[in-house]
Amino acid sequence: MPPRIIKYTEAIKEATDQIMEIDPSVFVIGLGVAYKNGADGTTSGLKLKYENRVFDVPVSEASFTGMSVGAAINGLKPIVHHGRVEFAYFAADQIFTQAAKWNYMFGGDNGVPIVLRIAVGRQWGNGPQHTQSPYALFGGAMGLKVVIPSTPKMAKGLLISAVKDKNPVIFLESRWLYNTKQEVPAEVYEESLDKAKVFKEGKDITVVAYGDGFIASLEALDFLNNDVSVELIDLVSINPIDYETIFNSVKKTGRLMCVDTTHEAFNIGSEIISKVVQNSSIDLKERPTSISCPNVPCPTSTALTEFYYPTKVDIANLILKQFNKPKIDKKLSFEELHLAPGLTIL
Amino acid sequence: MEINFLQAYKKMILIRIAEQEIADHYLQNKIMSFVHFYVGQEAVAVGVCDALGKEDKVMGNHRSHGHYLAKGGDLNKMVSELLGKENGLARGKGGSMHMIDKSVNFIGTTPILGSVVPLSCGSAFEQKYNKKDGITVAFFGDGAFEEGIVYETLNLANLFKLPLMLVVENNLFAVNSKLSDRRSPEYDIEKIVSGFGVSYVKADGNDYEDVFNKTKKIIETVRTGKPAVLECIAYRHMAHSAPIFDEGYREEDILEKRQEKDPIKKVKQSLLDSGIKEEELVIIEEDTKKIVLDSIKFAVDSNYPPKESLYTDLYAS
Repeated sequence: MPPRIIKYTEAIKEATDQIMEIDPSVFVIGLGVAYKNGADGTTSGLKLKYENRVFDVPVSEASFTGMSVGAAINGLKPIVHHGRVEFAYFAADQIFTQAAKWNYMFGGDNGVPIVLRIAVGRQWGNGPQHTQSPYALFGGAMGLKVVIPSTPKMAKGLLISAVKDKNPVIFLESRWLYNTKQEVPAEVYEESLDKAKVFKEGKDITVVAYGDGFIASLEALDFLNNDVSVELIDLVSINPIDYETIFNSVKKTGRLMCVDTTHEAFNIGSEIISKVVQNSSIDLKERPTSISCPNVPCPTSTALTEFYYPTKVDIANLILKQFNKPKIDKKLSFEELHLAPGLTIL
Repeated sequence: MEINFLQAYKKMILIRIAEQEIADHYLQNKIMSFVHFYVGQEAVAVGVCDALGKEDKVMGNHRSHGHYLAKGGDLNKMVSELLGKENGLARGKGGSMHMIDKSVNFIGTTPILGSVVPLSCGSAFEQKYNKKDGITVAFFGDGAFEEGIVYETLNLANLFKLPLMLVVENNLFAVNSKLSDRRSPEYDIEKIVSGFGVSYVKADGNDYEDVFNKTKKIIETVRTGKPAVLECIAYRHMAHSAPIFDEGYREEDILEKRQEKDPIKKVKQSLLDSGIKEEELVIIEEDTKKIVLDSIKFAVDSNYPPKESLYTDLYAS
């Protein structure tokens, strides 16, 4: 039988459909989720199948998010969709102050089993107010669990785990990855919400990446031939961060590079590097390095965005630099620079 | 449910005496939990909760000691929470602003103004989703009613036809900011609420009978999925926070007026008119005071949570 290759968006829809079939307390809510091709295709057809469990809503993010938190407090399992993180900001109180604190402030036994699917990050032509990637904001909010699926297979397994979890899970989807494809199991399966994954084993350097930065890092490996053996880690969760997996890898390789697709200031790579260099049981062969976006909002013009996000070539060259190997000189096409990748991940 | 002044009196006097005694302890610096006292507004909590059934759920705000006790809460657990003790409602992690007790369907309070409105709407959503009989009631103030999320939720609640009743306790002040500094003269809460298709009823928050009767009537339609706002005009006898009697900012609700309109005085008069003897009420008052002092002693004698408790409960498992 040929491998079952599906898109990232299809993996999300499949996970939603399957978990709704299993658990009648799961419902989907958000702007446009009831459309035929709702939420970038991630909720396609669900309204037809589950008429009374898929809710389009007024343009009132604070209110419908808060209502979903209230429903979760009372035992339902909402999957809330925010198509852009900037709109989820309207619901900041309900996410950070209510859902995230509810169990702790009432001394336990008060879980809030809600999943907030929030799209973040790059997309051509979207500019400063439609492309923010506030990973640190969510990663630093105690009481939330925060996952970033980097591949279709992880997207499906993580979403199923997120819905089954008793706590608020922020599911940050990099819109840039929606067209990526991968072989995804047809059955229901779970991926751990708090474990990083060693995606590819290697011995010379540990590269930690997530979301669209993970895909760029994966593509960067193609430029390295057999010159450097990279251990590529899919970070998966930024709240909490799985330091054990990272430490074990860096102990082996002695080198670390972190890839962020958000501002250099207060990014996830800085957090990881800080913990690694403070760990006296790790012998580093080189100073850890990181690559990220400049400390400005993402502009709209392609003449500027060309230099905003780290590319697969930038990532490959930073890896090569650690080994004093010559830079590769490869010019990326307009499509490679500015259009979302449609690659099939092996 | 028929009106029962004696039962109402007992509940209201319990809230009143508990708050006064807790205030005394606060002044002695024994309570290290930010407090907002309910003295003066007892007729609202008791009038509303007496008209509810056990299956109905209640949520509140930062000023919710009275709401909790009116729903049948446990005074020992409440005072223990205020004192930061392990056997408190939230094991000492919440304090005065975080009352919760699911055993009496009191499902939580939050001091972020307006936040409780969508949360309670979600509770009503769950009741409808699972075809349950109960409704959800949220208590909050006139200040919170100015938060944008409240207006959004009025629309949402009626769009989804949810069994939700919002009780706005209008005590004329947001902290010390008076209504005329916060709303234009044309601001009309009835028109706003009705404009969303939500029922609006106004009650005298100093009058138990009025609150009870109006709640009883309106919740019949709330149960059918027509949300409602019940606005109760009441006087806050103490300051916004802490047991201070600051008179400087008051206009309508000066001391003489508060004493004249005191909701407990009114219920007491109804009881005397019905033939109950003054001495009986004095005995109730004395017994209540004893119960309250016992509760405070119980809480004082209770253990603080162990250090490890700091790190637990971040997530539910």
